[in-house]
Amino acid sequence: MDISFSEQDLQFQEEIRAGLNGAEYPAHVKEKQEKGINFSKEDVIDFHKFLSSKGWMGYNWPVEYGGTGWSPVQIYLFLNELALAQCPTILPFGVGMVGPVIYTFGTQEQKDRFLPDILNFDTWWCQGYSEPGSGSDLASLKTKAVLEGDHYVVNGSKTWTTLAQNADWIFCLVRTETTQKKQEGISFLLIDMNTPGIEVKPIITIDGDHEVNSVFFTDVKVPADQLIGEEGKGWTYAKFLLAHERFGIAGVPVVKVQIDKLKNLTAEYNDADLNKKIAELEIDLEALEFTELRTLAAIAEGGHPGAESSILKIRGTEIQQRLTELYVEAAGQYILPYEGPDGFDSNRTPSGPEYASTSVAQYLNYRKTSIYGGSNEIQKNIIAKAILGV
Amino acid sequence: MNLNYSDEQNMLREQVLKFCETNYDFIDREKILESDSGFSKDNWQQFAELGWLAVPFKEENGGFNFGPVELTVLFEEFGKALVVEPYLSSVVMSGTIIENSDHKNKSSIIEKIISGEHQMSVAYAEPNIGYKFLDCYASTSVSNNILSLNGTKSLVLNAGNANQFIVLAKHEGLSALIMVDAEVDGLSIQSFKTIDGQTCGELTFENVLIDTDSILASGDDAEAIFNKMMDLAILCISAEAVGAMNASYVKTVQYTKEREQFSQPISNFQVLQHRMVDMFIETELTKSLLIKATLQLDSNDPDAQSTISALKVQVGKAGRLIGQNAVQLHGGMGVSNEMSIGHYLKRFTAIDSMFGNTSHHINKYQANQKE
Repeated sequence: MDISFSEQDLQFQEEIRAGLNGAEYPAHVKEKQEKGINFSKEDVIDFHKFLSSKGWMGYNWPVEYGGTGWSPVQIYLFLNELALAQCPTILPFGVGMVGPVIYTFGTQEQKDRFLPDILNFDTWWCQGYSEPGSGSDLASLKTKAVLEGDHYVVNGSKTWTTLAQNADWIFCLVRTETTQKKQEGISFLLIDMNTPGIEVKPIITIDGDHEVNSVFFTDVKVPADQLIGEEGKGWTYAKFLLAHERFGIAGVPVVKVQIDKLKNLTAEYNDADLNKKIAELEIDLEALEFTELRTLAAIAEGGHPGAESSILKIRGTEIQQRLTELYVEAAGQYILPYEGPDGFDSNRTPSGPEYASTSVAQYLNYRKTSIYGGSNEIQKNIIAKAILGV
Repeated sequence: MNLNYSDEQNMLREQVLKFCETNYDFIDREKILESDSGFSKDNWQQFAELGWLAVPFKEENGGFNFGPVELTVLFEEFGKALVVEPYLSSVVMSGTIIENSDHKNKSSIIEKIISGEHQMSVAYAEPNIGYKFLDCYASTSVSNNILSLNGTKSLVLNAGNANQFIVLAKHEGLSALIMVDAEVDGLSIQSFKTIDGQTCGELTFENVLIDTDSILASGDDAEAIFNKMMDLAILCISAEAVGAMNASYVKTVQYTKEREQFSQPISNFQVLQHRMVDMFIETELTKSLLIKATLQLDSNDPDAQSTISALKVQVGKAGRLIGQNAVQLHGGMGVSNEMSIGHYLKRFTAIDSMFGNTSHHINKYQANQKE
């Protein structure tokens, strides 16, 4: 047994670190990440363009599709470095989700058409999975696509669509057939967000932010060559996609940075109870981090972690949520003034520590983590079935 | 990076697993607990013959020169079967101190431990010092050029069977580790059964004569050796806890599949499934910290101290959660002494209490983070 990374991997880590500190890195993004200020749409785009320019965008893709061909350990180290530097999160919808589906199940034409734009971040993708009536029971989805000649006509609605307001394209699970087994009638469709009949309506979450949306489809005509793979096989592709995006799910390095910040912010409080809770969170984080490394070691040897990665999702989100609670606890009564994600006018500043109002917003926002990506209860069902066999 | 056990380590695990399957079912164990010594002398002899008692010792002392990884393999399997033989006190705790001392006869003492003929135990706790073992009151004094030891040591594991003790006491104002024969004049031993089916004893020393040769280490050396022994002891009982956690959730899953209520196996109920998933998750997280701590101790990593405390905290919390849920999901059978499941809860409770409990190690972890 040996937990150390190879010389080569450590050198790789240095290269990433140097790149993130290099002159090409967008200065306005760096300034915001150092100060902990929210990123704008332009910041996010500039960050992704930077990744493209370094050839890092396809960090999890094979070389033949324009990816880096990095090993699992390198991917882990890369994501770790981004998180430690507090970079914007890589938007998962293109490079992490639809990209691998396209290069695995798509036609040559589809690969040529969509993959370069993903790697150059010329298209912003969003994910059309959940529906008002289909959350954890995703396969019950009702958005209908009917083939009429050379195109599908799509009717229905998607919800909780993250950043659809910025998106150029959406990948959707749609029902092309009503079958006995509900999974069998689902297909995987790529849709241009500019197609007539699509309407995006914001959903404001309890922190006052506009992150998610409802997307309505009314007689939307989608060319048939935007279907991925075979009709009725969409559920298989969706499952493949879910299994694909596992790295970083636990959010360990982000939490690490945030715990250090919290310790600095609260050092002078000498609050023994708070300090004890922070220590307990750090211990849980250590256990989670090493669990992630165990998973990584298994993948690096060619293994396929199955339900075990559900542990990372469940415990990772629990830890993230507990961290937000500790920030709120630390700020005490000063969390009260809050006027939304954009903060206060520059001429009015409430009393209390600067982190107070962002911490309450984060606390409210992070309730989503145990709900999205397959709720933690669903994750437990997966472990119960796949590992415990009950 | 490679987190696989070697073939040799896997073979050791197989061997212990087989032994426990053959010799250590719950009824075998009950008989052992009822015996006078509280452990099986036959088993101990088999441990010796299988070479297990030689696992951690250096080759020059007749051992296999194995490290923390092999010890944790052994203890994980012990934990699954709730093995009560005094491996921890004799081989791990006493063995570590002897091997790290400069005692002139250390090879022959270790030889006797390895052969199984000799058992030892470390007397580290006292009635009024809690977990501050180094702040002990037991101490030596000199009168008429004669060195003698006075004081009380508590909770000495396997005290009724040990041939010798290593006593943590003050000598010339400094910490010292002193070897004392069990039969020596002035030492009285009161034995107790423990909550988890093992035995311990209270040792009272009244003017027990000490030969300076029997002072294994003193001052900083003694404290360093003692701390090293403590780290390894925590690692071993944590590995044992991981084994017991594993057995607890596996047995619970099995039981809920067999137990029918409302015309169906109770494993069908989601609320029970999720509890069992929680048990599984905590087991895996504990295993992670166990491996991390093991590898750090093995490589003398400066962070090992902090990880050992993190591990002990996780063992305490997870042991409680898993032990309690295992009992709960077994219903009335869970609180019945004739089912094994409640005995795991007892072992978790004992393990948490030893060498610093959860609260103690949270504090220690915090202190380490500040350094």
